[in-house]
Amino acid sequence: MEIPVIRDVLEESNALAKENRAAFDRHGVFVVNIMSSPGSGKTTLLQKTIVILAARGISCAVIEGDVTSTLDSERLAPLGIPVIQANTEPFGGDCHLGSHMVQAALKYLDLPSIEILFIENIGNLVCPAEFYLGENRKVMLLSLTEGEDKPTKYPLMFRECQVCLLSKMDLAPHLDIDLDLMKSNIQKANGMIRVFPISAKTGEGLMAWLDWLVNER
Amino acid sequence: MHELYIAECIVKSVNSSLPRNVAPTLVTQVRVQVGQLDAVVPDTLKFSFDAIKQSCGMPRAELLIQEIAVRGRCLDCAHEFGIDLPVFICPVCNRGHVEVLQGRGITLTRIIADDPEGEPNGNTSHS
Repeated sequence: MEIPVIRDVLEESNALAKENRAAFDRHGVFVVNIMSSPGSGKTTLLQKTIVILAARGISCAVIEGDVTSTLDSERLAPLGIPVIQANTEPFGGDCHLGSHMVQAALKYLDLPSIEILFIENIGNLVCPAEFYLGENRKVMLLSLTEGEDKPTKYPLMFRECQVCLLSKMDLAPHLDIDLDLMKSNIQKANGMIRVFPISAKTGEGLMAWLDWLVNER
Repeated sequence: MHELYIAECIVKSVNSSLPRNVAPTLVTQVRVQVGQLDAVVPDTLKFSFDAIKQSCGMPRAELLIQEIAVRGRCLDCAHEFGIDLPVFICPVCNRGHVEVLQGRGITLTRIIADDPEGEPNGNTSHS
């Protein structure tokens, strides 16, 4: 017998993400899903971003995704904000955060007291792009050391994100990187993505990124 | 490798799509469409599905994957066109304001199962 079906296989995952989104909206929490390759500077970006937001009176929290370890949570702990570690190891070592994991993390967060929630996804330029978690915006980092070709090789990530932060700009003088080509490749993958060159180390470009973030909220 | 997670999602979708009188053990074929924009490797997805199907109660199920090409529409001039990854530029107006019409997403499209009361018909009469 033949059973015709037209069904999104991620519908259960997306249904949970919509529940997450409803909880965020109910409490006025703006949620940003931060994605990139491992080592592009997500945690460093958050360290700098959250300090500046705190100075502007904006309360933040972080769901910190990793396959294993609490190293990144420990780096964020001195900020004195709620940081929930979400490790995928107990879920089979998934290479991305799932909406069910975000939902589990929400039990440990006091949403009414949070204005911006960052979800630091697992370092991976492929898999996290596939899954909706309930966020308001998707933001990615592409560090200069990764090379100009990454938008060409991993177009889905660039298609899914509203912002691409070109990170580690302070390294530009030391690299054989063609920045114009890198930006051109990003635009070919997604002509609507906003690109902000930044250096979390020197502070270059952070204000433009923060202004965008605060305005989108 | 998120194909394993997606394979688990496919199994869940199949289970919840089966009529009450059709056991998962009767499923012989599962068809899905996978968008080429999705970061899914078909061989890896099939490998993952085969790895879990026994423990998920549908040991005879074969996963068939149809890849769906990417098509887009220019948001400036409304031109619709096929997209060769990864260039999302309108060939008419040369702008990059392009929405994806197809080629993104994973869809369960058909399940074939043995008749619960009669002769097995597997995947011979429907393709």
